[in-house]
Amino acid sequence: MNHGQQSGEAKHEDDAALTEFLASLMDYTPTIPDDLVEHYLAKSGFQCPDVRLIRLVAVATQKFVADVASDALQHCRARPAPVVKDKKQQKDKRLVLTMEDLSKALREVNNSSSLSSCF
Amino acid sequence: MKRRRKARVNSEAPDDQSAAEFSFSLTRVAVSQICLSVGYTSTDTSSTLNTLTLITTKFLQSIAELAASFSNSANRTEANLFDIVNGLQDTALSTSDCFPGGSTLHNTESHCLIKSAVLRNLSDFVASAFEIPFAKPLPRLETSGSHGGDSTRMARSPEMRSFPAWLPPFPDSSLYLEPYTKERSDHLWENSDSVIGRGTFVETSGVRSSGRLPLRRASVRFKMGRDCSNGGGSCKSDTRLERRRDDNDGEYGREFEAQKKIGEEYIYCADIDAGEWNM
Repeated sequence: MNHGQQSGEAKHEDDAALTEFLASLMDYTPTIPDDLVEHYLAKSGFQCPDVRLIRLVAVATQKFVADVASDALQHCRARPAPVVKDKKQQKDKRLVLTMEDLSKALREVNNSSSLSSCF
Repeated sequence: MKRRRKARVNSEAPDDQSAAEFSFSLTRVAVSQICLSVGYTSTDTSSTLNTLTLITTKFLQSIAELAASFSNSANRTEANLFDIVNGLQDTALSTSDCFPGGSTLHNTESHCLIKSAVLRNLSDFVASAFEIPFAKPLPRLETSGSHGGDSTRMARSPEMRSFPAWLPPFPDSSLYLEPYTKERSDHLWENSDSVIGRGTFVETSGVRSSGRLPLRRASVRFKMGRDCSNGGGSCKSDTRLERRRDDNDGEYGREFEAQKKIGEEYIYCADIDAGEWNM
């Protein structure tokens, strides 16, 4: 009986968390605009009038890009920096996204996920 | 020469290609914004950014295709949250970096989508990450585009809800509705086609009457069958009166002339009698 009550409470809490998350999507503005996401979704045969779900897809895509970019950034930082004698150049150390870092980051994603079927 | 040929090919590109280029360039702006938020300031070549942008679009479309296939397999045309989460789960299954976990989605005891690690990670991302809105507001195309996404965004009336959204929108109702349906109530019989006939002034000029007269219109003159001497009144009654008057005048004149004749004869006789002769 207690186990049933606990599971019911946990389910209620999960439902509340899900509702809160979906409500927070209404106020959240993803970097990828809704119209753009909607365009790609319609192109793939996806049909949904709910803006929250479109934003959910936008957030997932944004997170994917951010994770790949941060992974590439880790590779960029892990690479030994070239020796620079000039102090100005040392101060102006700008992070540049290179194809080498990007390919390393994508290779990790590609190896560990089913994304290889997409690309 | 080759460049000129290439330029011609690009100028003759169809609308689909330009729309794809436009959407791709918009995605590239969004991807560059995300990279900027991570810490990057630039890319070594433009192809690097294009590659990441292309992968982003492929990722988005793969989620959409998976969600659409899940909804179609459940005999639905519209996808719901379950389909999207399943699509996300399949896309990023066992990805250690993007979506860790996620094995509890099909757990029969949980019965809740938030148990999915994918959704939980996304919830944490929304709660923690800063909002980076798109650089510029997107212009909305008023004309119907070649793809169904924009063209199906028109507001549908409750009667049209039964039609799927991916179908092209209906044309304007004024193009196919009967033009006389609204005017039937105040349409007078004497103005109907059976009396006037088609091709009258109002119909040929393209203006429906509906009780309103055009500003410039032809002058109309009325002519009766015969002219009336008197200004007012009905012509027939006047003529009758005149006839009566004429008749009366004629008799009166004849009487007057007879009296006059009698009088003259009387005077003539009297003058003869008196010995005077006046001619």
